[in-house]
Amino acid sequence: MRKFLLSCLAIIISLLFGALILWLMGKDPIAAYTNLLQGSGLMHKARYAGRQSMFTDFMSFIDAMTPMIFASLSVAIALKGGFFNIGVSGQMMAAGFVAHMLSLAVPSKILVIVAGIIAGAVLGALMGWLKYKFNVNEVVTSIMFNSIIMYLVTFYINTFYINPVSRQSKSIIDTARLTLSGYRWENLKVDIALAFPLAVAVALLLQWFLERTTYGYEIKAVGLSPKAAQYAGMNVNRISLLTMTISGALGGLAGVAYFCGYLASIQPGTTPSMGFDAIAVSLLGGNNPAGCVLASFLITIISKGSIYMSSRQHIEPEIASLITAFILTFAACSAVLSRKGKK
Amino acid sequence: MFCGAQQKGEEVIMLDMIIIDGLSFALPLFIMAVGGIYSEKSGITNLALEGFQGFGAFTGAVVVVWLTGITGSTSQIPYYAGFFFAMIGGGIFALIHALLCIKFKADQVISGVVMNILAMAMTSFMTKSINSAFFGNSANKFMLGASSRITIPYISEIPYIGAVFRDIYPFEIIAVIVAVVMWYVLYRTVYGMRLRACGDNPHSADAAGINVNAVRTVAVFISGCLSGIAGMSFAYSISANFSPDIYLGYGYLSIAALIFGNWNILPALGACLIFGFARSGGSAIINELGLPSSYNDLVRILPYLLTLLLLVFFSKHNRSPRALGQVYDKGRR
Repeated sequence: MRKFLLSCLAIIISLLFGALILWLMGKDPIAAYTNLLQGSGLMHKARYAGRQSMFTDFMSFIDAMTPMIFASLSVAIALKGGFFNIGVSGQMMAAGFVAHMLSLAVPSKILVIVAGIIAGAVLGALMGWLKYKFNVNEVVTSIMFNSIIMYLVTFYINTFYINPVSRQSKSIIDTARLTLSGYRWENLKVDIALAFPLAVAVALLLQWFLERTTYGYEIKAVGLSPKAAQYAGMNVNRISLLTMTISGALGGLAGVAYFCGYLASIQPGTTPSMGFDAIAVSLLGGNNPAGCVLASFLITIISKGSIYMSSRQHIEPEIASLITAFILTFAACSAVLSRKGKK
Repeated sequence: MFCGAQQKGEEVIMLDMIIIDGLSFALPLFIMAVGGIYSEKSGITNLALEGFQGFGAFTGAVVVVWLTGITGSTSQIPYYAGFFFAMIGGGIFALIHALLCIKFKADQVISGVVMNILAMAMTSFMTKSINSAFFGNSANKFMLGASSRITIPYISEIPYIGAVFRDIYPFEIIAVIVAVVMWYVLYRTVYGMRLRACGDNPHSADAAGINVNAVRTVAVFISGCLSGIAGMSFAYSISANFSPDIYLGYGYLSIAALIFGNWNILPALGACLIFGFARSGGSAIINELGLPSSYNDLVRILPYLLTLLLLVFFSKHNRSPRALGQVYDKGRR
């Protein structure tokens, strides 16, 4: 409960900070924040284009939120197990890329999901292995992997798989895409995120796994104190490996939900910022799976709604990542306050 | 650009280029690693170098753009003022990391990563805002103009190694001078000894009458200053502008260099040189083979891959400062 209140506090302070900046720039903060909700399909816009409504906005909001849930769960379970998985971006990109490649041979939604899970899990396991085998800081290896994967994928896309018009990779075929894009429903065009139920199910499953199973208990024990866990007879190396494999698999799921669902193509030359936003989401959600779903909802309002807000208020869309960064900073402080309270 | 290039053979020109480009990449990396060593030797884990260098480069770039408007483009004042304010900007931004780690007792790893994200978000937002407010465009970069280059006469004519003294960016000289001073301060002065004591055994340091938190705050500030110089150097040498593209993970490369160097300044220099020459050597090979420019992306992997391999082989025998990453709590024994 205390944790929940502290998270709320972090959000409120950050939003006030953001409002202050908006006000200093001569904008109306309340109107701007209303635009955020409108852009996310949670409030009525003044008018809609043809075949669009608040419902279609909300459905594309869900579509954007789905990969975020996976990504934040990936960070959360790693943190529970004492790892800081900042490599979610790289895992996402690798998984998305592998899924794209496989879909060229066998276009199937199931295969895309399985490929994403495996690609992410292999990368995660590799990081866990490097950590316990060679004592390499996982933060540094993750960053190195992020860059290596980004350049490899960029090289491949630019050389063999580019769409010369959009300067992105070619689009994934519709039969393999995890989002039904532009689905006709009555007189609307709706984007349906097929992976969203899976995301919620995985969050619930993870909650159960951490609270009710031996493995979950061991992961938490190793995260709190590896030495105590070892003394209690747990195989710390094996559990670390398990933690990072699960975390990587979730990162991979985030990747396919993002690159083969929300988006249909991969942008070469950058890593998705979602991997970093997911850290904010996870900290905000108290590294708790249910909390992650709630926090994903909030952060996605900011990131998704900011597009509409920036067009209405004539303000740089970067304000969204700025507010997210504020939330992250305050969440990092409040994580400590909650620890203090327990002692 | 290369004086007297016609008389020399192709390989020599290539070798010169590898040396010149390699050094201009390695030295900023090194100065940043020195900053990281200061922070970590005092006991504060510093993954925030990436953010410090970006924020420093941002403040420096703002000053350069502003001063160039006043003094005109021929003056050298904006260049050096830019470096000075990059240093100050990086240092002040670093104080947030110090505040989070020391005052709020946040997890230092998390705080470091948070600093990087915050720096990236703040600088890209402010760059656009400043551009649209003062210059009427919404570009996400500040143009800096090319840096001047210095060739030292006579020495640079020595075959092969003479290239070390040819086409030097002024910031390389700044970096070398600062690094020597920093080496002296860390290993030969009272403050340096106290700083190292705070990282190894803060309680003894406290008992000896040292204000642990103050020493650590200053150390983090210094690491911010040095990273600021590095960021400004990258802004000049790599792209001649400041844009969010400056966050390429070089901060993490320098962390890898300092870990590889076992938290000592001289071995860290060795690692930085390896990174620098791997990078310039790779580009030279791509050039030589006449491959399309998209193959450059393959070469850019080299420093990261090397980092990974070096860490794998050397991390096991490393001895980090004993109290690294631990919150200093006076009451704990």
